[in-house]
Amino acid sequence: MTDPNTNGPAQMDVRPVKKKIWQRLSLVWLVPVVALGISLWAAYQNYADRGTLITISFENAAGITAGETSVRYRDVTIGEVESVEFAEGLGDVLVHARVDQHIAAFLDDDAQFWVVRPDVSVRGITGLDTVLGGVYIEGNWDTQADVAQVNFTGLEEPIMTRANQRGTTVTLRAENGGSISAGAPVLHKGIEVGYLEKPQLSRNGNQVVVTAFIESPYDRRITSSTRFWDTSGFSVSFGTGGVSLNVSSLASIIEGGVAFDTVVSGGETVAEGAEFDIFDSEQSARDSLFTDPNAEVLRVAVLFEQSVSGLTVGSEVRFQGIRIGEVTDLNAIVVGEGMAADVRLQAVLAIEPTRLGMGGDATPAEALTLLSDFVTRGLRARMMTGNILSGSLFVQLVQVDDALPAIMNLTSGDFPVIPTTESQISDVAATADGLLSRINALPVEELMDGAIDLMDSIERLANDDATRGAPAALVSLLDESRALIASDDLQAIPADMRAVIADLESLLSEANETGIITNLDLAIATASQAASNIEIATQNLPQITADIEELTTRANRLELEALVTSATGTLNAIEGVLGTDDAVAFPAEANAALTSLRTFLDEVREGGAIENVNEALASASQAASAVEEAVGTLPALAERANGLVTQITSVVNSYGERSRFSAETLATLRDIQEASDAISSLARAIERNPNSLITGR
Amino acid sequence: MGSAGQSLNLTTARDAGLVACQRCGQVHPLGTRICKRCEGRLESRDAQSLQKVWAWLIAGIIAYIPANVYPMLLTSTLVERSESTIIGGVVELVQHGSLGIAAIVFIASVMIPVGKFIAIVYLAISVQRRSAENQHERHVAYEAVEFIGRWSMIDVFVVAILSALVQLDTIATVNPGIAAVSFALSVIFTMLSAQAFDSRLIWDADRTQQQ
Repeated sequence: MTDPNTNGPAQMDVRPVKKKIWQRLSLVWLVPVVALGISLWAAYQNYADRGTLITISFENAAGITAGETSVRYRDVTIGEVESVEFAEGLGDVLVHARVDQHIAAFLDDDAQFWVVRPDVSVRGITGLDTVLGGVYIEGNWDTQADVAQVNFTGLEEPIMTRANQRGTTVTLRAENGGSISAGAPVLHKGIEVGYLEKPQLSRNGNQVVVTAFIESPYDRRITSSTRFWDTSGFSVSFGTGGVSLNVSSLASIIEGGVAFDTVVSGGETVAEGAEFDIFDSEQSARDSLFTDPNAEVLRVAVLFEQSVSGLTVGSEVRFQGIRIGEVTDLNAIVVGEGMAADVRLQAVLAIEPTRLGMGGDATPAEALTLLSDFVTRGLRARMMTGNILSGSLFVQLVQVDDALPAIMNLTSGDFPVIPTTESQISDVAATADGLLSRINALPVEELMDGAIDLMDSIERLANDDATRGAPAALVSLLDESRALIASDDLQAIPADMRAVIADLESLLSEANETGIITNLDLAIATASQAASNIEIATQNLPQITADIEELTTRANRLELEALVTSATGTLNAIEGVLGTDDAVAFPAEANAALTSLRTFLDEVREGGAIENVNEALASASQAASAVEEAVGTLPALAERANGLVTQITSVVNSYGERSRFSAETLATLRDIQEASDAISSLARAIERNPNSLITGR
Repeated sequence: MGSAGQSLNLTTARDAGLVACQRCGQVHPLGTRICKRCEGRLESRDAQSLQKVWAWLIAGIIAYIPANVYPMLLTSTLVERSESTIIGGVVELVQHGSLGIAAIVFIASVMIPVGKFIAIVYLAISVQRRSAENQHERHVAYEAVEFIGRWSMIDVFVVAILSALVQLDTIATVNPGIAAVSFALSVIFTMLSAQAFDSRLIWDADRTQQQ
């Protein structure tokens, strides 16, 4: 606002001091600066963390998508596929992936990559997550950072063994890969302790080589004396114990599998990647324990002129009875040329030098030197029959003393040739023939005829009715004897006797009671008189006795059987006599007489008067006469008894000797005789002392 | 094109020795610092206006770069995981045939922010050069920038709502990417830039030229 026309001092040219640029700057400028800084820092960070680009070549990139497929290590994502393209010539698919920088340092020579896809196998399903989430690339490497690589060749199949998995990897060799497959289990005492990798052909194509991984700590069981064998499928074996069927796990039936065991201690610890053979069976594995399968063998050939049927690959080679190797190959070769050409059968023998007693570190060359020495001194090869039944053969190295001089042919052919000598196959056959013909010559048929005759005789004897009847007759004899003894009649006799004696005793005791001391004298006197009467009355008794004695005498005069029979008959007659009413009545009459006597005595006692004595005596006399009368009947009894005896004697005589009836009768008569003896002794006693009837003594 | 102001030869407040409050419109004598009605700061011309405009604008542009480079939405479903940037999303929508939606997204997320940048740059440069051309059109442009600024957040709102709603764990999840934050910052910075612009500077050039 300057006005040049205005009076007065010129106005000061007042202008504000131009501020320095930083003073004029607004604080707002901090915002873009900070924003820029953050952006730059973020960009740098992004670049720095970008990771390393690696390239993996695959034959097949199915499922790999740029920007989506991840690269994983132990299931942790460490990178991502950036692009997929073809290699030059369209041979491979190149997958470019960015992986974490820290991981990239470990991606050295041993890094392996494969694509994880869903997999269904006998042992289960793996990679199921990739069905939804898409495939991913899995990597595996060890924890040692070596020279980092950026170009890799991917595997078509997932590997089984992780680089840092603890355990031991061994290489197994098999003749046939049919029983093993990738992932098949490795068993130890039935426990799954590892698995097999994918089997491959060996370099020379002769064998199948498979890598087996044995997990820690089971790998400690593997030593140089460990043997592996095939457990695939199932095995059936016939033996003396019957049929045995061995079945392993279901997985091993389908996928195969191997088992191992270390039976012998003392083996050395094996290094990683040690090689072992797979044996066909556990038995062959165990059999091989005492040989070192890894030892080098000396291969020699033997040329046989005759058929080698019966000799097989695996047949034993024996030297002085000891197995030193086996036949590894059999084939025919042409020897000579032109018209002289001839076909020989060549058996290749694998001989283990250690078996020749050359120590553990003997080489095949040393063994060859030893063998050629032996050959110069007469060692020859020949076939021998190993088993007569199966006809299998083995090769025997034998010392032939009178052999034609020969040396080992070390130059011609593939193998050194051991000369042969005559084989022993036919000898054994001849021996067997001779044995059979001698057996044929034996008089077997005559022997059999004689034996048959002998048997027939024995049979006839045994079948005879008489022989058969003997036991039955014996039994019936015994039965009859038993029945006789058990018969009621016989058993009743002692009881009857007892009753008779009891009656007698009671009779005597009654008589005893009647004797009263006060009237003793009188009683005795009258009794004496009565007794004398009785004595008179019984005068006939001696006559009976005489008769009996005569009878006995007669009996004594009889022959053995006749004597017994007649005696018995006599006794029977006596029995009959005793059984008659008269005999029974006799005691009753005697009793009645005694009763009367007793009455009389009572009257005497009661009366006590002399005047009654006459009457009493008369009564006694009456009584005595009654007794006499009773006794008088005895001779008649004796007469009848005599008749009976005669009858019985004749009856007895009518029976044959030893007849059963007579035997029975004999026994009965013996018993009855005893009874009659007793009676006759009683009769004698009465005869001697009639008083005893009264006194009871 | 002749401006209306120029032809009308209007008197500005400053010419009249007055200063108007920009909030309430109360007019004060020149030199007054505080509005006596609303107690707002009074300044006849904001000397640092252009500096602020440039600063905010640059910050806005810087923030706009990651907003386009980085993914706006992180969508992960059971089957796949996808990240989409703004342009990528637009292209995808066009490929799916949703031209309308693609147009809306493109206009809201690309054309408007970029247009704002251009408009602000144009305004700032024209003021610095004290150009007297197109004063009226520049005013209209400024008004438009101011008005449209608040609608620029439409993208950010969509992302925020989607992220909040679609959280179904493994089945489907939507998460905001770095671009969402960058875009929001870019919009905020641009709005601040537009606000910092003192529109009165537009006609100052006219005065200077006339003198």
